Amino acid sequence: MSDLPQADSSRNDAVTFAPSLPSSATSSVARIPRYPWQGTFREDRFFLMLAVFVGLFSGLAVVCFRLAIDWTRIALLGPVLQAHDLRLLVVPTAVSLLVAILVIHVFPQVRGSGVNQTKSALYIFNGYIPFRTAIGKFVTAALAIGAGHSLGPEDPSLQIGASLASALGRRMELSREKLRLLAPVGAAAGLAAAFNAPISAVLFVIEEVIGRWSAGILGSVVLSAVSSVVVVRWFLGSQPLFRIPAITLARPSELIAYALLGLVGGIASVIFAKSIAYFRPRLRALPHWTQYFQPAAAGLIIGMIGYFGAPQVMGAGYEYMDQAMHDQFTWQMLATLAGLKIIATTLSFTSGTPGGMFAPTLFIGAMLGGAVGGLERHFWGAHLTGSTGTYALVGMGVLFAGFLRAPMTSVFMVLEVSGEYSIIVPVIIANTVAYVLSRSLQPVPIFDLLSRQDGLDLPSMEEQREENLLRIEDAMRQLDAPILDSRESVQQANERIQQSASDVFLVRFNPSGWRSVTRELLQTSLDEGKAELTLGSILSAQPLPVLHPDLPLDVALRYVNQTDVVPVVSRADFGKLEGVISSEDVLSRYRR
Amino acid sequence: MYDSDVSPEVPHRSLKSLLRRPPIIISLLSITAVLAFLAVTHLVSRFREQEKALARHLYAQGQMDLDSGRPDRAIGYFRAALTYNRGDFQYQLSLARALRDTGRTDESKSYLMNLWERSPEDGAVNLALGRLAVREGRTDEAIHYYHNATYGIWDLDPETHRRNAQFELIDFLSRQNARPQAQAELITLAASLPPEPELETRLAQMFEGLGDYEHALSEYQTVLEHDRQNAVALAGAGEAAFRSHRYGTAEKYLATAVRLDPSNSKTSELLQTARLVLEIDPFVRGVSTSERDQRIKISFDRAGARLRECAEKQGIAGNTTKGSEESADTKSYVVKSASPNDSSSVGLASLLQDWTAMKSKVSRRGAIFESDVAESVMDLVFQIELQTQKGCGDPVGLDQALLLLAQDRNGVDR
Repeated sequence: MSDLPQADSSRNDAVTFAPSLPSSATSSVARIPRYPWQGTFREDRFFLMLAVFVGLFSGLAVVCFRLAIDWTRIALLGPVLQAHDLRLLVVPTAVSLLVAILVIHVFPQVRGSGVNQTKSALYIFNGYIPFRTAIGKFVTAALAIGAGHSLGPEDPSLQIGASLASALGRRMELSREKLRLLAPVGAAAGLAAAFNAPISAVLFVIEEVIGRWSAGILGSVVLSAVSSVVVVRWFLGSQPLFRIPAITLARPSELIAYALLGLVGGIASVIFAKSIAYFRPRLRALPHWTQYFQPAAAGLIIGMIGYFGAPQVMGAGYEYMDQAMHDQFTWQMLATLAGLKIIATTLSFTSGTPGGMFAPTLFIGAMLGGAVGGLERHFWGAHLTGSTGTYALVGMGVLFAGFLRAPMTSVFMVLEVSGEYSIIVPVIIANTVAYVLSRSLQPVPIFDLLSRQDGLDLPSMEEQREENLLRIEDAMRQLDAPILDSRESVQQANERIQQSASDVFLVRFNPSGWRSVTRELLQTSLDEGKAELTLGSILSAQPLPVLHPDLPLDVALRYVNQTDVVPVVSRADFGKLEGVISSEDVLSRYRR
Repeated sequence: MYDSDVSPEVPHRSLKSLLRRPPIIISLLSITAVLAFLAVTHLVSRFREQEKALARHLYAQGQMDLDSGRPDRAIGYFRAALTYNRGDFQYQLSLARALRDTGRTDESKSYLMNLWERSPEDGAVNLALGRLAVREGRTDEAIHYYHNATYGIWDLDPETHRRNAQFELIDFLSRQNARPQAQAELITLAASLPPEPELETRLAQMFEGLGDYEHALSEYQTVLEHDRQNAVALAGAGEAAFRSHRYGTAEKYLATAVRLDPSNSKTSELLQTARLVLEIDPFVRGVSTSERDQRIKISFDRAGARLRECAEKQGIAGNTTKGSEESADTKSYVVKSASPNDSSSVGLASLLQDWTAMKSKVSRRGAIFESDVAESVMDLVFQIELQTQKGCGDPVGLDQALLLLAQDRNGVDR
């Protein structure tokens, strides 16, 4: 779509303006002629094809990344994590020192999860993410997660995908607009590959990175996500991440149990988010030399947690989530693991160790869900039909909604990682409770909080979603001058405007177009002896732009300078004037 | 001729512009993707091989623990093995078994149901589900899964596995007292059993366990057709025949069994009893009239003695009245004290009177019994043995032989 005026010639001779995309989404073919995609191959089409390749390469990179993490873990910590193994103390500490050196001296861009870095690329750096970032993220995150840091591979995968896409786009000499959009395309591919869940990845990128549904990029995001998932499934299999039995709610009152889980999950999300928000700036404010040792100290503490009996909190922990779903732990143990994981992840993340928060969030959610479910079944077992697996899975969605604040993604993520649709109602209820509670106790979402701590003012997607949008109907006014008709003579029109104080008048054309005429032009026409001519014959063929009352007010800004007043007409009848709007009207509404 | 400054530039430019043409770019990207795909395929397969080797090692350790009766430890290894070879059927099955052995039936069932959904015809999975159902007392489900296992697919040695599943099902049905179902399964199994003495002996023992002595005897005889000196089969056949009240056949098998294995006390006792039965039975074929009468007299006397002993135990006293010279003393019997076995005591008192009344006829010197008298005397003897068993417990020796004859008068092969 374009933001240029669109003539709706099939209905009338006026020009209508649909709400348009930002300029970034427009084609640059005409403006930058040196690009090779001129002629038969338009950049838009090439962009779509490139999205497929971005998906393929991201998928391959993520496969390698996951192998690297697994290999590192086996090589460093052994095939089975067991408490009281000295390696649990030594390995995270030593490897974290190496990671810190790499992050400080070689790959300074790889700190953190990668979500905000991708957003920064989109909004600040014109889609530029150095390829070095992909390599750095790959190496450092694989080392950190493989050595037992309580972080996950999903957000790094997102950043690796975005970085690969950005590098590819630069190599292809894409226009700046397209290059800017290619980073989210790569991010979706990376995340989809990491989760083996294309819908969730697309939703997350739309919800958290791009921030709006845009047809111009949606196709590319979907294509890249799907192609990356195809690659991952080719290599790693297509079975869902977790398997739980189908659930059947015996009675609707069971949903109260899930709502309670949402409540607990919402509180846990706030504790988790506030812990990170509290420790991160304080640790970063410490002297620079301490940054060499912060990841090592975090690694040592996490290693101690593992050494003294809870090795489950080390690494991403997917196998333990699976065990939690299969009743492997008592509810007391599940609650303990959830608490320890919050501590461990806070330490890992705030120390600047590269790695993601998705997997730890899911881990905490699964353990908390299992614990709450176990406790509820202890008291009301006869009334509840859900298994521990069901509660653990719902718990994952709850933390995702409460902590990462991506409500739609959280629902689809649960469905995709389990392949179980029957769980959707409990998930929606629990997630909504957690989301609402978390939003009221922690107004700033975690990703916005992190970007603000980094001194960046990236657009807040949650704020955008909830923004009270001003519309044209809020600024338009009723026309205080007569509406002229194109079939009237100049003489008649002149007589009708005598009582009006206005200098500009709207002229309705049959069947529904609009023009404007000034008092001065009418007088001149009379002076030239054109009194008997119709208004239609003396006015130019160029129609006025028209707007509709429900359009965002900023749309009007693009047209109010072209003419004194812009007619605001009904969508059902373009000849019916709802009001008019001028630049003064818009500005006065914004000033209010 | 091109200018010397320009000439090298032109091919360079044309190559660059060629490389910037979309079809060329797409082709180059495709080639790169294919090459990357091949490289990653190689990498993944190498890594998977390593992981599978690791998984095999962990699985073997788990299996050792499971075999050594440490299912708790085995679970840890099986889980670790599954981490490195997630979809492996055997690992999941072993984990499910270990979980079942530690009492985590829900979790075990969850794994098994996953496997069952993947492969509903798999014999091992169905057998495991059957065992789980047995453990949880779900009889119908257990039978269903055992049947599936019996007719399911087994990778190695399917016949043996199917047979064992069927044996297990029969064993389960026997424990559930579902005798007709168990018998039906046994008969089906017997029809498909290969001619192996061990299996036939096992089958015969199962028939015997169900109380189907005719089929048991038949199976033992089948074994003995191939191996006449099979002590187990001989003893089994003897016992089956004995329980079927075919004492002649029983004596034949038991005698040989005792000769082959004199240490088998149970067989010896059965043989002794069988011989007593054969020696005391007055109606056995080929017995002369005098021998028959002799046996009747012995049986009558023995029964009288047993009756008196039992009556004394039950507190039944006799009042003697002097009769005619020809007749013996006549006694009337009364029950001295009420006891829980009142009806039994009354019956014993009545039998004592009958016995006393008949004694003069039987004890007459040189008496030759008409067949109807012989029948009525032995009827009384049998009644006495049956009644005294109720009141005074199982008899031994000759009384036991008479009791066996009483229990199945028509079953004795004479």
